[in-house]
Amino acid sequence: MGLVCRLLEERGIATTYVATGRDLASLVNPPRCLFVNHPMGNNFGAPGDRSMQMEILRTALSLIYTVGEGGTMVEYPTNWETPFRFLPAGRRAG
Amino acid sequence: MNQPIKYVDELNEYYGSLGHPPYQWTINDSAPLYRLDRPLNECTVSLLTSGGVSRTCELPFDPDARNDHRLDEVANGTPEDDFQIHDSYYDHTDADRDINCIFPLQRLRELAEDGEIGALANRLWSGFMGRIYNRSKVLEESGPAFAEELERDGVDILIAAPS
Repeated sequence: MGLVCRLLEERGIATTYVATGRDLASLVNPPRCLFVNHPMGNNFGAPGDRSMQMEILRTALSLIYTVGEGGTMVEYPTNWETPFRFLPAGRRAG
Repeated sequence: MNQPIKYVDELNEYYGSLGHPPYQWTINDSAPLYRLDRPLNECTVSLLTSGGVSRTCELPFDPDARNDHRLDEVANGTPEDDFQIHDSYYDHTDADRDINCIFPLQRLRELAEDGEIGALANRLWSGFMGRIYNRSKVLEESGPAFAEELERDGVDILIAAPS
């Protein structure tokens, strides 16, 4: 998916990539990345938390105008309250 | 305080334990950047997720897909409760309850109504699920075809939500 973002930028469409995997995003190196240290699948926050979802979206959109160099990653300030870990094959937390 | 998960190490170990060959991670040292002059309140914005999200009227995604280049269009007025998620790659319990966790179309509708963004594109997108091993097909076929669809909708900005 980061590959797609790179291709779009070359064709004149600006992209912002909202990632929960910092090392995964670093490898593919999308043009603009907002790293959100949440469980994978909670890129925009918690269910029903409209204000958090809005804030992450607004921050992601702001990168379109603030990032001056391709391959910039910005870390979203967040503190996900419950512990989370790697869960392969759709295993559920908790 | 949760430390960022080391997905690369975890995935290498996990897939190795299943007997899969090592995944050849894409490593890019530099990245292109398109400088957008148009202000946000005049921009058309679209959204793409790779989280196995489909309309309830569509077939589910294959949760264990490999090299699946399927890409679904999602009309921008689709109700929030009209989605299903099939992807074994992550825990989508929260996104099952509130699709905006991974595919924030209702929040984007609100940003458009408030005039913060110019418009939400007519079509939003779900596809390019992970574990695509034939990357040249993305670069040569499915990626450019997607770009043409976005151009058709006059999209200025794409928000990408991988999972």
